[in-house]
Amino acid sequence: MAVLVSAGRRGRPAAPSRRRAAGRRTAGRSLTHLLLLGGGLLWLFPFLWTLGSSLKSPDGFFSKGLNPLPDGVHAGNYRSAWQQASFGRYFLNTVLISGGCVVLVLVATSMAGYVLARTDFPGRKTCIGLISVTLFLPHGYTIIPIFDIVRGLHLLNTVWAVIIVQASSGLVFATFLFMGYFSTMDRQIEDAARVDGASFHQTFWRVMLPLSGPMLATVGLFTCISAWNSFFIPLVFTLSKPELRTLPVGMYSFIGQNSTDWTFLCAGSVISLVPIVVIFLLLQRYFVNGLAGAVKG
Amino acid sequence: MSSLSRRGFLTASAALGGTALASALTGCSSSSSSTPPGTRTIDHWDWFVSQEPWLKQEIALFEKAHPKIKIKRTVQVSDKYPDLINLAFRGGSAPDLLMIPSTPALQEQVADGWLRTLDDYATPQWRGRFPDGNFYNGVDMVEGKVYSAPFSGQAPWLQLYIHNGLFKQAGVTNPDGSVKLPKTWDDVTAAAEAITGKSGGKAYGLGFGNVPNTSLPWWVELFVRGAGSPAGYGTDLLDYRVGKWTFGSDRNYTDFVELLLEWKKKGYVYPSSMSIGDEQARAFFERGKFGMIVGGVWNQSTWTQHHFTDYSLTTLPSPTETPKAFFYYPPGGHLWALSKNTKVSDEAWAWFDWLYSPAAGQRWVESGQGLSIFPEANKNAKVTSQQFQDYIDMRQFALPMPVPAIRNPDVSKVVVPTVTPDLPDVLAGLYSGQLKDVSGALSALEDRRNKALAEGVKQAQAKGAKVSLADWVFKDWDPTKPYQNKPA
Amino acid sequence: MQLLDTAAPKPPTGGRGAAAPAVTAPAHGRWQRIKAARWSYVYLAPLMALLLTFVVYPIFGSLAYAFYRWNGIGSPGDYVGLDNFRQIAHDAIFWRAVGHTFVYAIVVVPVQLLIALVLALTLNNRKLRFASFYRTLFFLPVVTSPAVVGVIVQLMLSNFGDSLNRWLLDAHLIGRPVDWLGNPKIALGIIILVGVWQTLGYNLVYFLAGLQTIPEEVYEAARIDGAGRLRTFTHITVPLLRPVGLMIVILAFIGSFQVFDLVQVLTGGGPYFGTEVVNTYIYHLAFGGNQATATEPNVGLASAASFFYGLLLIGFSVLQVLLFRSLAKRRATGRA
Repeated sequence: MAVLVSAGRRGRPAAPSRRRAAGRRTAGRSLTHLLLLGGGLLWLFPFLWTLGSSLKSPDGFFSKGLNPLPDGVHAGNYRSAWQQASFGRYFLNTVLISGGCVVLVLVATSMAGYVLARTDFPGRKTCIGLISVTLFLPHGYTIIPIFDIVRGLHLLNTVWAVIIVQASSGLVFATFLFMGYFSTMDRQIEDAARVDGASFHQTFWRVMLPLSGPMLATVGLFTCISAWNSFFIPLVFTLSKPELRTLPVGMYSFIGQNSTDWTFLCAGSVISLVPIVVIFLLLQRYFVNGLAGAVKG
Repeated sequence: MSSLSRRGFLTASAALGGTALASALTGCSSSSSSTPPGTRTIDHWDWFVSQEPWLKQEIALFEKAHPKIKIKRTVQVSDKYPDLINLAFRGGSAPDLLMIPSTPALQEQVADGWLRTLDDYATPQWRGRFPDGNFYNGVDMVEGKVYSAPFSGQAPWLQLYIHNGLFKQAGVTNPDGSVKLPKTWDDVTAAAEAITGKSGGKAYGLGFGNVPNTSLPWWVELFVRGAGSPAGYGTDLLDYRVGKWTFGSDRNYTDFVELLLEWKKKGYVYPSSMSIGDEQARAFFERGKFGMIVGGVWNQSTWTQHHFTDYSLTTLPSPTETPKAFFYYPPGGHLWALSKNTKVSDEAWAWFDWLYSPAAGQRWVESGQGLSIFPEANKNAKVTSQQFQDYIDMRQFALPMPVPAIRNPDVSKVVVPTVTPDLPDVLAGLYSGQLKDVSGALSALEDRRNKALAEGVKQAQAKGAKVSLADWVFKDWDPTKPYQNKPA
Repeated sequence: MQLLDTAAPKPPTGGRGAAAPAVTAPAHGRWQRIKAARWSYVYLAPLMALLLTFVVYPIFGSLAYAFYRWNGIGSPGDYVGLDNFRQIAHDAIFWRAVGHTFVYAIVVVPVQLLIALVLALTLNNRKLRFASFYRTLFFLPVVTSPAVVGVIVQLMLSNFGDSLNRWLLDAHLIGRPVDWLGNPKIALGIIILVGVWQTLGYNLVYFLAGLQTIPEEVYEAARIDGAGRLRTFTHITVPLLRPVGLMIVILAFIGSFQVFDLVQVLTGGGPYFGTEVVNTYIYHLAFGGNQATATEPNVGLASAASFFYGLLLIGFSVLQVLLFRSLAKRRATGRA
């Protein structure tokens, strides 16, 4: 791509000196693209290899080695992996749990981030202190106390348990991101809303929150990534209900059961990776902006 | 993506989540369509992977014979099983019938109120179905009450597998052209040298998959047994003649580890052996990457599935041609149990009884998983695989061993503290060159192990248990003969 | 530094906001102020409830275990005081694990930050086409789980470590075949390599976000003043990026010190603890080793190790912050 573009440019008539400078610049730019593309391909090599290998035959897997190109298209790997591991159900559970986590985290942290950044009240500093300390505290063997709480709430073996516990694990960082984002927003927006007679709630829900789209996307994405990939929490809180298991839990037993059916494993890996990659691609354009908003100031 | 379509996306996913949520919340159990009224469901937990086909077949047969009982099977990941069982009991959602986890000890599971005593079902007549000498405190009974029953029959749990193709290629054959099975340590070395040398760098004499720390102890155990060292059942059996672990004081351990390091140095060992797991090593053996591997009967089922049959097996290679010690097993055993609070104990017992029936045992043998506790099942089973028949014929090399808890039930109260680094760690350290002094490392391990036992005994004594280190000494044990355990 | 500068939060929007009546309201005492800000508390409530119930309470709940000998079944009964801490502090394997974790962090963080910074500077160029495409490319490993990545790398190495060996042998780069994950030094190197690869994306986008906060006009002004590229970089980009940079460094260290899944999947900490990191060490204590030897879990010891390590980390963080402060101070005085 880069080569084509620079070739086209070079064809344009130009004064000799300018042409030389421009030529140097295009050459530099082509080199940049070449390096980025080469580096990027190298970077993605493990994925490309997995994708390719998921389509290989068992023999092709060995004869092709590290070559990602498959020896034909053996889509049967996907069909069997999907059926054998009931990925369909796991997939739905994972979507549900990740979605629930995202909603819960977004609601809890955006509200908290807003009041911590934009309002003053007695105890505010204590709250911020408490929140930031948890970032540094060791998260030791906490599964038994959490398990006991969830049992006390009669939520064992429900999706709610997984959602709440999983969401709680990522609250602190998200709150800080929202705090950062809201504290850099222009105060005039709030003032204008108030002049229009908006209440505290309306200001937040109708004005401030819609304006924090990039941050919602960022926090949503980060939450979604960790919820999607989480293994231990869904394993523990659905232990008596295998029908509520998520993709990583299913993937774990799938790995255990097919440890030498490598093409199968690759197909399973692709199945578990694709959805989160797609979600990322959909949301990614927002989140650099969101982060930029949070660190500004 | 505009904000509108983002919202559309979110709505869509919310809707999707909503339907799933509804089904998740209503319990999701709209599966069985044609169950007769009055059907009761048994929750069943296990961690079977390669044995799964057998279990599935048993479930199908059982449900057909008992139309009013349904079995809801949950397979748990094997390495998380003890944690999940613990949490399930903690959360009050334990299965009705469970595979007994490897930790904690059976008596602690009983003490914590996990397991249901089976005395009302497992009557003396019922127990009479098993061969004599199979119900003991600390094995399948606790304080005189039955909680489980033995399932498997015993044969040497480790074998040396031989790749026929590579052996023939390297000319390690008998005059009639058949593969020459190695009988001594030197035979193994010679075969390894021939295979490595003749393959032109394509194959190695031997290989294993040690991740996560599994296979090296198997090699050690298989080879020192032949040399006359009775200790180390899975790493956990001491030499009951003296009541101690003998990793350092018994020369055989050092001798074999030094031989293994010699093999490594000469390039006979598949170089990635420390990078791969046992399953992978099995697959590479199948593909002819190395000629010998140590493993159990579980190797055979995957190879059968892959239609790989060109292999042989032997066991107990020794420095001389005759093995001086064998494999040992405690009498009795436990596999399945009922949980204490099961509300369907009659149904769960019916399933338990089914699993422990000679017929199910025979199908177990026929599926190539191992031996059954019932001699008639082993005898009547129709075995088609020569290699599995070879395994069955090795039964003579597995002998019952002394069990301290049978002689003194208080021994069950001793919890021996975990030792780190343990045998698998030390072997990995020696093999990877991080530990240099073989006999020094093994002696240190022996000390750690024996001190831990003494410490465990001391703690148990402090709590009032009547135990002493003498409970682990069986002066009358002859490792070449079956041991008759005598309850106190 | 908004994210972590909690000691001195940016003053909230002053006194005139309807949502911030605290300052405008005459000082009728604390109760009045609390009442006026009631909605702030309501908005904070869900977060605090979740945090206290599922994060703070369990942390302190599990702290208690550190004083017992307990296998995680039933409730702890064997009180042993500080024995567990003493045992951890005297365990050579624990200190080896700490060593490996620090080596991991100290290699991964600078290497990763350097690559991420160079990439971010390249991609931040507005004239560069397909910048967002490249950004996506380099961020992608982040969205995948370390466990799946571990499986993939393990697959590649175990199946084709052979071919790689043959190739290296033929090129006379090595004398004898390498057991990639069986040699502790090489294994740790591979873990580091994969660690850099997998988490680089976060730092890349943090840097990009930081760079975006530097207004174009500043660069414009520098260009008019005739400043060269290098000068612009050292005099504008670096100073303006420093606050964000500090945050990135701290987050990168926090993440690296908690490395777990990768190691667990690739080597399980072996061979012979050669790649054991603190979190795998704790895991092995809490969940009783591996399948090969069914060892009794020791939750008390695991909790003690976890807290001991937490203290070490807090000490390290304080040291880090002090170091940055003194550096900043020296620079400030040097300039004056």
